[in-house]
Order: sequence, then C-alpha cells, then structure tokens
Amino acid sequence: MQIALRATLKVLAPYILVGPAILFVLVFLYAPVVFSGVLSVSDWNFISPDMKFVGLDNYRVILRDPQFQTALLNTVLYCAVLIPAQIAVPLALATLILRIRKPFLANAYKAALFLPTMLAYSTAGMAWLWLFDPTNGFFNTLLGWFGLAPSRWYSDPSLALWCVVIVSFWKNFGLNMLLFAAALASVPGSVMEAAKLDGAGSWRAFWTVELPLISPTFFFVAVTTTMSVLDDIAATIDVLTEGGPFGQSTNVLYYMFERGLRFFQFGQASASAVLIILLVLIVTWAQVRMFERRVHYES
Amino acid sequence: MTEFNINRRNFTMGAAGLAAASILPIRAFANDVTITISSPWGSDRPFQKVVDAYNAKGTGVKVVNRFDGNYEQMATKAMASIASGHPVEMMITGWKFGYFAKRTLGARDFFDIDEASAEEIITQFKPSVRSLVNIDNALIGLPWAMSTPVTWINMDLWREAGLDENIPLDIDHAWLLEQANTIEKALGGKGHPTYRSALDLSNNEWTSQAYVQNAGGFILDGETVVCDSPAAIRGMKAFAEPVKSGAWKNLDYGGQAKAMFAGNIAICATSSSRASTAAASDIEFKDVMFPSLDGKRNMNSGGNFLAVYAREQELAQASMDFLKFCASPEGQLIWSEVGYLNTSVHDIPLQPLQTAAVAQLEAGLTSETIWPGKRGLEGQSVWREKVARVLEGVDTPEQAMAQAQSELSQLISAG
Repeated sequence: MQIALRATLKVLAPYILVGPAILFVLVFLYAPVVFSGVLSVSDWNFISPDMKFVGLDNYRVILRDPQFQTALLNTVLYCAVLIPAQIAVPLALATLILRIRKPFLANAYKAALFLPTMLAYSTAGMAWLWLFDPTNGFFNTLLGWFGLAPSRWYSDPSLALWCVVIVSFWKNFGLNMLLFAAALASVPGSVMEAAKLDGAGSWRAFWTVELPLISPTFFFVAVTTTMSVLDDIAATIDVLTEGGPFGQSTNVLYYMFERGLRFFQFGQASASAVLIILLVLIVTWAQVRMFERRVHYES
Repeated sequence: MTEFNINRRNFTMGAAGLAAASILPIRAFANDVTITISSPWGSDRPFQKVVDAYNAKGTGVKVVNRFDGNYEQMATKAMASIASGHPVEMMITGWKFGYFAKRTLGARDFFDIDEASAEEIITQFKPSVRSLVNIDNALIGLPWAMSTPVTWINMDLWREAGLDENIPLDIDHAWLLEQANTIEKALGGKGHPTYRSALDLSNNEWTSQAYVQNAGGFILDGETVVCDSPAAIRGMKAFAEPVKSGAWKNLDYGGQAKAMFAGNIAICATSSSRASTAAASDIEFKDVMFPSLDGKRNMNSGGNFLAVYAREQELAQASMDFLKFCASPEGQLIWSEVGYLNTSVHDIPLQPLQTAAVAQLEAGLTSETIWPGKRGLEGQSVWREKVARVLEGVDTPEQAMAQAQSELSQLISAG
C-alpha cells in the first residue's frame, strides 16, 4: 500500500510542484490575453450590462486614427534608437570596466552605472523633470553659462521624444551593462591567452572570441531590451510628457493606456493590445531567426 | 400662570428630555454608517478639515476621505469599483465629467434619494451655479469647487520693467499684450536672474475656451461642435498671438505652476483656485480679470461637484447628510480657506487675491466644456491637441479649428 502511494506521489510530484506556477501563468498571463482578444471585438466598458459584438470595428477605428499612426511611427523610432544604444553602449562600458585593474574601482563604476536601474520610473521621471525644467532646470542653467538661449525641452514638440529617449536610456542601460560584464568575466582566460598567442589584437580577439562566447547573453539582452523599449518606456512617457506635445512623444503602449484608462474605450485599448502582442511576436521571431545561427550555447 | 416646581424627578426627566432633544436631530442614523468619498485631495488639504468637522459631530455617519489622484485617475478607480460591485459612495467629480458621471458612472439624482434633503442642499447655492450640476434633468451634484481663469501679475517684474503700478481690475487683451511686450523688451535682453517669459496664458483647454468665448464664439452649442465659427477662430488667433510675438514662451500647465511660483513669469493667466497658494508665496501678486477681447468677456468656470454613487439607500442617505453639512455655512466657511469661489448664498469672508474672480463670477460664468457622448472624454484630448498645434504654429487657427470641428463631431456622434 505504502509502496503504491509512494509510486503515485512520485509520478504526481512534478505536476504538484509545477502546478501552482502553471496556474499562476494561466490566470494572470494567458487568461488576460484571451480576454483582451474577446474585448477587442466587443463594445463594453465593464459596467454596462450589455456587451456588444462589433467585429473588427475597434481595429478599423485605431488603424485609421492619426494618433495611433504617430504612436506607431514613434515606436519604430524609439526602437531604432534605443535598442542599438542599449546594447552597444552597455557592451562597450562592460568591456572597459573589465579592463580596470583595481577591483574596488571596477565595482564602484559598476555600482554607479547600475544605480539608475534601481530607481522607480516615477522617481527617475520626476528627477529628470526638474533637470529639463524649461525655466529653472539644470540644463537651461548650463546653457545660460555658455550664453545660449534656454530650451523648452519636453515642452518642445521637436525635443520631447528625445527627452524620453535620454531618460529611458539612462534608466535601463545599467542592467544590460551588468549582464554583459558577468558574461565577459566568465570567458575563460585561457581562451583569450590562446587568441593572443595566435597573434590576435584586442579588437580582433573581442570580435572573434569574446563576442561569440557571450552570444547567449547578447541574444538574451537583445530580446529583453526590445521588449523593454516597447513596454517600459510608457512609464517614462507618462511622467515626462504624457505623450505630448500633441502626441509627438507617445508610443503604442501609451496609446493603449490612454484608450483604456483615460477614455475608457476598452475595446479599442484591447485591439491595440492585440496589435502590440503581434508586433512583439514578429520582432522576437525576427530576432530569433537573425541570431539563432550565431548563438553558441556549448559550455 | 402655571407654577412649575423643580424637584429631583422633574429635574431628571427634564435633563433627559433635553439630552434626547440635543442628540436625536444630530444622530439621525440608528447604526454607524461609513461612507467613503473618492477625492483629489489628501489628508493634508482643507477638504479633510470639512470631513473632520462633520465626523466630529457624531451623526452616526463616518466619512472617509480617500485620495484617488486626479479626475481621470478617480474616474478609472470609480469604474473599477462599480465593475467589482462595490461602488464608492461619493466622488468629487470634475465639471467636465458631468455627462460621464451621469450616463456612464450612474451618478444619483439627489431628488431620487431624498427630495427634502435635495431641496435643502441646492437652495443653499446661488441660482447661477445650480444649472451646472443639472445633467439630463437630474440634480447630480453639490456645486463644490468653482474657479475661473484670472490674471496674476508678478509685481516685482512689473515694476522692474517700469510699468505703472496702478493696474485696472478690468483689463483687455490688446492692453495686456502691450504690457507684455514692454516687459519682454525691458527684461528680455538684460539677463534677468529669474525672468523667462513676459506672459503665460496657460496651455490648456480652459484658457483657450475663454478666448473663444470672449471673442463671441463657443466650442459647443449644446451637443453641436461650433469651434470653427469666425468668432471662435478670431479668439484662437488672439490666444496664439503672444506666442508669435515672443512674449509667451508656451510652457505646459505643470511647468507654468513651477515657473509662476518661482517668479519666472511676469503675467500669468491661470486658475483663480491658486489664490491661497499665491497669497502664501514669497512673490507679490496682483490679481486682475482675465483679458477681455475688444471689451467683451464671457468667462467660463471650472472645478468640481460632489456626487453620490451609492446604490444602497442607507448609504445614499448618509451621503446626503454629509452633503447637507457641506452646503451649510459652517462647511462652506471651512472650505473657503482653499481659495475657490463662494458659490453658496452664505456670507463668507473674501480671501486674499479673490477680487478678480469674484468680479467675473458676478458678471456670470459659463460652465467649462462638458463633452457629451460615449467617446466624449476623448474630446478634451482632441481639443488640447488642436490648441497645442496652433500655439506651436504647426496649424493655423483656421486649419486647427476645422479639424477639431470634424474630429469632435465624430466623437460626440459616436454614441
């Protein structure tokens, strides 16, 4: 009897252990995704007793909305600028930090550069609001010292998007730097030694030895950074510009937030959510296709 | 004459009777009832004093003031609470959310809750403001906070530019622009340590509406969008004029507040509700009326009303009891500290820097734009966007108003 019970428990144990996690993911991830899909073809505001099926109307409305088109274009711009910057600059910084001989100094640099990542978006946004302040801000004071006219920064339609880019980059590059630093530190010294003995210079050794060896980290950083640029940046937008002036700094996620939680058009917000999911899937698939042959997982 | 001898029994009965008489009218509720009011003000703000004063009376109703963010955030939370089946009993609701409050959130008609109390509450307010809380023929709110755009002048910068200190209360746009240009010439090139902008008319939907109305136009006529009328366009042109002349550096609304109280703007057109903050600041402000256009003025108001959303009759009655206190001279006196206009019929002493706002109230105020329709809330965003495009010189007033008319009409007719 006991043996049979033990055998059953042994069989069930993995399911029991994994079960809560699967349930959590189903309830808080997949169920809302499915519900968003249903809402995207409905007209319902959560409190009305009637939920009306409207087919693809919500999709038609947002795709024809100039605000959505601007948001989409801005999203592409944010991705085009921030994804390369948030990969290249942290990689360069990590490489440089690892070349610092004194461990105390290297750790101090790492800590200082990682610090912004630990701040909440709201805190970071408020701090930068003061730095960019059009009248008493630090940057305008700086411009004044050089006899230059003050700028309106985030109030200026041509600069608002760039202010969001700066804050978002500052807030997020630290984590990537730390990941790259950890990956680079794990590259065996003997391999680098062998490369040097074979006559490879620092630059060549980096490109042909170090970078391929850290390719799994590189791939991970590329995927998570893409998602972060599509997603987290909305928090910076909200604190800094609220998408303005006249939508010049908004992105698709912020557009979705406004449709849903400012204007209570949950159908349209859900339709934008579905489009965002599709966009992320396409971009991630493209990244997987692009990187899969170049990523080496062997130890 | 009837003789009345005081003995122990009479004394005890009399005292008990007096005690009962003094308790009964106050303690109107058999059981303790707690009602929550969703509000844009935290416990550090004067509204909490109103709540505390009411709670101290021990009526059996306990009011909890819950800070829920700005009007939009409050509306979001209200939606969530209604969807979950536990609506907040009361909410401080922006005037501009009038239709949304009634048609979507289901704000209760005071007369449906308790006719006598509704009558008692609303008659304590000036007839001119009563219509502002009447949506779809229902009294859905107590006209609580009312403000209107006025003009604040930083007297230090004004004097430094060599302008006459005897500023009239009733000012005109042309005159104001002339003064602003004088300030710009006098201080703009001198590297003044704080000066940044001679004028700021507030880049928001409120002040642009004032310019449109002062020019003889309207944004909405009932539920019809009329912002592309020649008069409205003339108003928008005047509104954008100081940006073109360089007197107005066009900050966002939040930036304006910081700049105003840091002494960076010489002339600032903004909400009269900033009176108490302005009076308490280190800057010497003078308040004058919002600029008229060619001597004409048809000013708008803004602010919020107290609405009841409780579905249970006992909670709704308890809310009405609190509202009666809010409407009373005692409640209004406590509330008047903030600097909002006195909309009640009670004689409340004037706060500093309220002269211009009161003059505008006495001349008559229209409501702020209350966007109708199922997608009405987007109207405010569309209007703000078009105004910003005019101010930035991206669109001419004619183009922006034509686009606004088309987009707003679509939104309003959407449901």
